[in-house]
Amino acid sequence: MVQLGAEPTPVARVDAPQARRRTGRRFDRREAVAGYLFISPWIVGFLVFTAGAMIYSLVISFSHYNLATNTARAAGTSNYSQLIEDPRVATALGNTLFYALLAVPLEIAFALFLATLLNGVGRGAGAFRTLFYLPKMTPVVATAAIFFLLLNGNSGAINQFLRAFGIEGPQWLVDPMWIKPSIVLMQLWAVSGTMVIFLAALKNVPRELYEVASIDGAGPVRRFVSITLPMISSATFFNVIVLTIAAFQIFDSAYLLFWRDQSNSSPEASLFYAVYLFQQAFRQFNFGFAAAMAWLLFVIIMAVTFVQMRFGSRLVYYEGDR
Amino acid sequence: MRKTQRCAVAVLPVLALALAACSGGGGGGSEAAAATDFSGAPSGTMNGWAFDNADDVGTARMDYAAGQLDDVTIDLDQTAFDSQKFTTRIAGGDVPDVVQMDRRFVTTYAAQDLILPLDECFAAHDVDPDTRWYPFVVDDVRYEDKVWAVPQFYQPPAILLNKEVMDAAGVTDDQIDTSDPDTLLAAVTAMYKESSGVPTTLGFDPVATGQAGLWVLATGGRLTDDEGKPTLDDPANEAGLDLLKQITDAQGGFAKVKSFTDSFDTFGEENQFVADQVGAQVNAQWYPNVLSPYLDSVQLAAVPFRGADGEPFSVASGSAFVIPAGAKNPDAACAWAVELTAADAWTAAADARKATLEENGGLNTGLFTGSPEADQAIRDGYVVPTGNAGFDQVVSTYYEVLDYGQTFGSSPAGQEIESELNNAVTATLLGDKSAAEALSDAQEAAQRAYETVVGGR
Repeated sequence: MVQLGAEPTPVARVDAPQARRRTGRRFDRREAVAGYLFISPWIVGFLVFTAGAMIYSLVISFSHYNLATNTARAAGTSNYSQLIEDPRVATALGNTLFYALLAVPLEIAFALFLATLLNGVGRGAGAFRTLFYLPKMTPVVATAAIFFLLLNGNSGAINQFLRAFGIEGPQWLVDPMWIKPSIVLMQLWAVSGTMVIFLAALKNVPRELYEVASIDGAGPVRRFVSITLPMISSATFFNVIVLTIAAFQIFDSAYLLFWRDQSNSSPEASLFYAVYLFQQAFRQFNFGFAAAMAWLLFVIIMAVTFVQMRFGSRLVYYEGDR
Repeated sequence: MRKTQRCAVAVLPVLALALAACSGGGGGGSEAAAATDFSGAPSGTMNGWAFDNADDVGTARMDYAAGQLDDVTIDLDQTAFDSQKFTTRIAGGDVPDVVQMDRRFVTTYAAQDLILPLDECFAAHDVDPDTRWYPFVVDDVRYEDKVWAVPQFYQPPAILLNKEVMDAAGVTDDQIDTSDPDTLLAAVTAMYKESSGVPTTLGFDPVATGQAGLWVLATGGRLTDDEGKPTLDDPANEAGLDLLKQITDAQGGFAKVKSFTDSFDTFGEENQFVADQVGAQVNAQWYPNVLSPYLDSVQLAAVPFRGADGEPFSVASGSAFVIPAGAKNPDAACAWAVELTAADAWTAAADARKATLEENGGLNTGLFTGSPEADQAIRDGYVVPTGNAGFDQVVSTYYEVLDYGQTFGSSPAGQEIESELNNAVTATLLGDKSAAEALSDAQEAAQRAYETVVGGR
């Protein structure tokens, strides 16, 4: 009696894995399609509002765009050559670069200082964390209004405080030399986002390291320099990159303090790159030039970030690395 | 990377661009409503924008205009005008029928063909702009021989005097004379007080950046030529900046003056006149309204701002109604704006103001409408002696300077010219640059802006 099917033919033995692979591929494809469908709202949003807008702005940057007719006529590279010819671009870039060099280290230092303070708090830590985070929740307009009063060169609280020690404070919002530091001060007020990242990193530093270092005789400064800073270097690196990008895009503080209307006193020292870009686009309708400015800023930020990634990452300790 | 992935990467930017282009809006003015001569009977729905914070005067006029246009449904967006929002609304095809904006914006939009010329609108409603409004008001919105907006308000500046501070320093009204710098500076110095290097009383607050155009034009300068091109580097403009620098230097320097004036409680009980923080200050016509509740605490007077020739001088902006290119109901928009600025609308406004003052207290300083007929009617019918001789003299002074009004000059780069002039004033007063250098830099930037706007047509 022949037992049909009891002994599979060699051909059948060969086909089984192929069939399984085919079934697996079909399943993989279905899974991939389902995945793409699930994230499609984000993809569409990204394509339209980010990628699409970026590419559209690149197109506009090579044109003279007319808002009235919604048409653009070719401009070649004239918008880009205007970046060199317009002295205000260099001024705005210089101001922005100076601001970034001043703001980023101070924001890092102040945020780390606050995070270290909070990390040492035992009872009521949650309340303190909330309190420290509140400035981040304050609208920029409100913060600007407060700092407009605080930084008044004659009657502001900061100069009143300095006057108590016999120091005549600067004219923060009028003297061109002190305009950028005054905006940095305003940014430091809202540094709690950076602080929270530092705080999370500090919480992850193993306590044993401090205990061992203490047994070996290391003081607080030594422990901070030799343990804390290396262990949170990845958070520091992240914060430096994010804050640098934000510094290059500084707009709202400067705009609110100095450029909110034409009758306001607006020293050239407060002309930041994004402010000038805004003026070109929405006051002068120079959309092609504004788009070229945006792309120059994009390239600068990319270059700076690349340099930071290339060289900064060598100084960073990642726990998973050997 | 697999072939399909490479294809996807290549196609994505194209798809993104296509999607972005498709969402690019309604095409701005290119989809403008059919050409109109504004003579059609106003009907349908009219959408207006930027009618924020309408007070009793504004509300009464809008009620009046609505009453004249029974067949029109008026839908007003009462948020403030914002140039970015206006730009994006036009680009997106979401075009209101009428927009209220500052007159200094009008020519910029006119030069971009973003708004409609209104000569036919005025003709359709039998309005002669040059008689309904002061010529210098119409000149603010006239460009290339067309009138681009329905103007309203002209609130001239004059110099408000704080008699207590002046009397204490032995300064008389005639010494606050902007046409006589030496006498003025002596008076300023006599009234100025400081404590530890910080000003406590300014002899004269010239409002250097807020009224920069007034100072330059009154001292013989000019901001634009007849075509609207900026002329900031005209050597005649230096006199105004130099005089401002002398005034601020005599009071501790611009930085300290600016910080001091920034700290004024301008609208409050401890305003700069009540607190004796100024001996004299350049102010627009509306400011005496703010001071009227405090007449028990201050002794006020006023003198005209005088030009180099010694005659009173005034220059001021105001607001206006424009009809954007692409407005769907321009006929109704035109009729509505014209009705809002009619003499009867202003009478309704004056009645409303009178009622408000009777209910809440306060003194009637009149309304400065931009229209000579309405101004005179309101002065004759509603402005009565207050019992405070100083305040009555203040009100009279503002009416007096109306006859000496001038336009800032209509230019496609009007906003930039004002902004650059302020930058030049700031740089000069801080001592960063000489007046000539600062004005030269300002001219360069303003000229660039002018060419951008005009060249982009």
